[in-house]
Amino acid sequence: MQGLADKLEWIQLSIAYAWPEIWLCISVVLLLFASLIQSNQNKWIDALALMAFLISLLLSALQFAESNTSMALFNGMLRLSDFSIYIKVLIDLAAVLTVFMSYAQQEKKGEYYALIATATLGAHLLCMSNHFVMAFIALELISLPSYALAAFGFQKKSMEAALKYFLFGSVASAIMLYGMSLLYGITLTLDFTSATFQQAVLYNQSYFLIISVCMVLIGFLFKLSSAPAHPWAPDVYEAAPTPLVAFFSVVPKLAGLSILLRFMQVLSLNGAASIRWYIIIGLVAMLTLTVGNFAALLQKNPKRMMAYSSIAQTGFLLIGVITLSEQGLHFMLFYATVFLVGNYLVFWYISFFEDRSISAIEQYAGTGKNYPFASIMLLIGLISLTGLPPTAGFMGKLFIFSSLWSSYESSEGMMYLLVFIVGLLNTVVSLFFYLKIPYQAFLKSESQVLIIKKSPLINLLGFILVMVLLGLFFMPSGLMGWLNRITFAL
Amino acid sequence: MHAYLLSLLLLIPLVGALLMLATPNVHRSLFRWIALGVSALQLIALVLILSHYNTSQAGLQLSELRPWITLDMGIWGILQSNYFLAVDGLSLPLVALSVIIITIAIISSWKIEKSPKGYFTLLLILNAAVIGTFCAQDFLLFYLFFEFMLLPMFFLIGIWGGARREYASIKFFLYTLLGSIFILIVMIALYLSTQSTGDAELVIHSFSFIDMQQSSHIISNAVLDPQNNVTILGISARVWAFMLLFIGFGIKLPMVPLHTWLPDAHVEAPTPISVLLAALLLKIGGYGLLRIAYPIFPDIALQLSWLVALFGVIAIIYGALAAMASKDLKRLIAYSSVSHMGFVLLGLASVTPEGVAGAAYQMISHGFISAMLFLLVGVLYDRTHDRMIQNYSGLSSKMPVYFSFTLLAFFASLGLPGLSGFMAELMVFLGAFKSGSTNYLLHESFAIIATLGLVLGAAYYLWTLQRMFFGQYHVKINLDNQLTDVDFREKLMLFPLAIFIIVLGIFPQLLLDYLNPFADAFTNTVIEGGKTIKVLLQK
Repeated sequence: MQGLADKLEWIQLSIAYAWPEIWLCISVVLLLFASLIQSNQNKWIDALALMAFLISLLLSALQFAESNTSMALFNGMLRLSDFSIYIKVLIDLAAVLTVFMSYAQQEKKGEYYALIATATLGAHLLCMSNHFVMAFIALELISLPSYALAAFGFQKKSMEAALKYFLFGSVASAIMLYGMSLLYGITLTLDFTSATFQQAVLYNQSYFLIISVCMVLIGFLFKLSSAPAHPWAPDVYEAAPTPLVAFFSVVPKLAGLSILLRFMQVLSLNGAASIRWYIIIGLVAMLTLTVGNFAALLQKNPKRMMAYSSIAQTGFLLIGVITLSEQGLHFMLFYATVFLVGNYLVFWYISFFEDRSISAIEQYAGTGKNYPFASIMLLIGLISLTGLPPTAGFMGKLFIFSSLWSSYESSEGMMYLLVFIVGLLNTVVSLFFYLKIPYQAFLKSESQVLIIKKSPLINLLGFILVMVLLGLFFMPSGLMGWLNRITFAL
Repeated sequence: MHAYLLSLLLLIPLVGALLMLATPNVHRSLFRWIALGVSALQLIALVLILSHYNTSQAGLQLSELRPWITLDMGIWGILQSNYFLAVDGLSLPLVALSVIIITIAIISSWKIEKSPKGYFTLLLILNAAVIGTFCAQDFLLFYLFFEFMLLPMFFLIGIWGGARREYASIKFFLYTLLGSIFILIVMIALYLSTQSTGDAELVIHSFSFIDMQQSSHIISNAVLDPQNNVTILGISARVWAFMLLFIGFGIKLPMVPLHTWLPDAHVEAPTPISVLLAALLLKIGGYGLLRIAYPIFPDIALQLSWLVALFGVIAIIYGALAAMASKDLKRLIAYSSVSHMGFVLLGLASVTPEGVAGAAYQMISHGFISAMLFLLVGVLYDRTHDRMIQNYSGLSSKMPVYFSFTLLAFFASLGLPGLSGFMAELMVFLGAFKSGSTNYLLHESFAIIATLGLVLGAAYYLWTLQRMFFGQYHVKINLDNQLTDVDFREKLMLFPLAIFIIVLGIFPQLLLDYLNPFADAFTNTVIEGGKTIKVLLQK
């Protein structure tokens, strides 16, 4: 048993490694203060928010540049590893891009950014969590601001969506909490990376364990918006402001993915587990892919379609959790990066067109002629999400499917092959709906008069994102070189 | 200098496309001139390439190898993909065909009214992609170009096509993407089963076709290692891989049960795009089988030759019957393409030098003939906006020049001696018959049944000639009665094609100088490769 002094010293030492999180806490407070003195049309709040997230991005990036070990912080509540730092960098990047997108947000800017910062902080903590209680708190720290943000459209529809989100979220949290308590009953510890936990799991390879783990998974899968915990996503995506949709479709997903990966890694006990967890995740992944892609086919609203698309993309991300190997992890992170960029690019232009009162897929008719540049950029984003060359989306798919094949090769588990085939065939289905917008944009002629508004700044950022997508296709080695540093150790 | 020629051929259209994007949309006629200029430069590059190519030597020439992606994959070794361009006796004629056909397609697009900027840009991107596909000797690079063709084609059919263009373009895209996903599955399995050097310590996973073709470069205990004999649902993994490639390229070829996208795409596509589709894009299916499926899986290819030949014969007969039943002239020609591509499968399946050279000859010859046929349909369609055979009769008296071009194209397509189609089909038959007595891959009955296709071909072409060109001059009432004969621009497109068809019919050696070394080497590789693997398995 450690003494209090030791614990305090540990906390004191940990602070040096928690600067991004501390800075986010400060930002929340700053932004809340800003909201007190704001009036409408305050551009300085945008600037403040942008600076806040840029600094936290910088702090995370610095951490990634220097650290190469994995260490426990705050009495083993958090664990800082290259993996979690990289996820943090991605999360901060997403937050920065969200601020860029939010230029059109008019009301209650201070609160808006403060809530985003809180959710970002929650995501930071979740991807470092090492402990069930910490994971729960971090999860709720993402969820509660998200419920409020979902209602930021201030319309009946967004209230309904927020309520739905809240109800789903609380039920998922409750189930997860119950699962955690069962696991505590089995293992007598809440620190799920500890040796005690692993030992107990090893001796209790039973149906009871499977049931408790599945309950915990519900909570994680809810954050991933993965089937069967996905039905909240389309409604929320449709009703929430577009920048937030982009935020929801990336940040909680990445945080949930990293905790899920860590959790599965523990449960697999380096291959010593007799329960084949990858079969459960494989089933979830296939279900997610199929539900997401097929439901997306029917959608008429671009944001709703993208909601299902992001559900389907979760299925691809889960492949990294199925393979559970170091290389699979690197490839999953590559895919996650590409997904982030492609997804933001698409939402960027969806919001661009929304600004020109184009909000249904049918209304995109003729945009290819009137906004050739924007439409081509949007097309490239969608192509990348489909996974066609010459975009990074293709490389991402190639890599994760390669890792899946390697797993199949070394173990000959039919599940790997099944996911491999279902995943690739789903690409064909996904093309069908990803092409819906370009189809309207380029193949149909306009039925209504389009408002022409030039905005070179938006197009510049879109262009940068496109260049990243093309660059990562032709030169994936640069990013992969960085990712290869990340170790798979707990 | 000559080391960069193939890259040059690829770069010219890409630079042209960029130039076009940068050109302001003021002078609409400027774009077609840029496109034509690009084609002219490409023709010059092609002449240089032909002059540097040594026909007496088999194997890859004018190689250009540059590292592209080298990726450390930890315990799995290193992923290595190269920018590897080269041509051999099969690629070079196809590259030459592409450059010539694209030039003609650009001339044929001269009167495009609807946003010429987008049209010619897409055409140039397609141009680079097609040539790249024929030159790439690295699977990843090949796949990049292969997929890169889809989007420009989708938009070219979907924006500039006919009434049902949207349906046709989506159908084209989905079919082809499904095929390319099958190819992607095999590509992933293949590169993870292939190493570039025999070094046991560090595995370098290679995408190079050359490495993939050598059984000594297969990583032992990989899924595609023949000695490992992995079975999936009771069927060997290598058989699965071959079948996936066969289906993937079969969709592109197109092979009969998978051909239904072709008539729709052809009927809806504008004339120049039909020309490109028939003359070039279909060839990629045959090229893929010759370059990838057969040499990499020789054991399975020899084992399943009867199946390939069976699908070939089915395509020959079914395509001809469907052509006979078509009321739309363009649909008729599309189905005749299906029928003619069946010969490629038959010749390939025989794995004899004659048959393989015949298959390749058929690809080139069909490239010229189908281009001419579609241009001729386009000539008529431009004037009347109607392609129904029943609406015309006695055209020979009104359009004599048009008639003579059509006569030549029809006869070439039905295989009249002295024209290119005859040489190709003759060699395919020689190969298919010979196979029954030399390498015992195909029973003679395949060739015998396939000859029926020739009879049917003659039947539908002659019947069409009779219906459309002979008898009293008459066109359907509400169509334009003032049909004019082919003008100068149209002659400019048709004349070179006619020359190529005749020259390749009379002097087959011109093309066979390229094809024969390839066919010999190919046959050897496949037969020897099959034997090597058999020996390995017996050990």
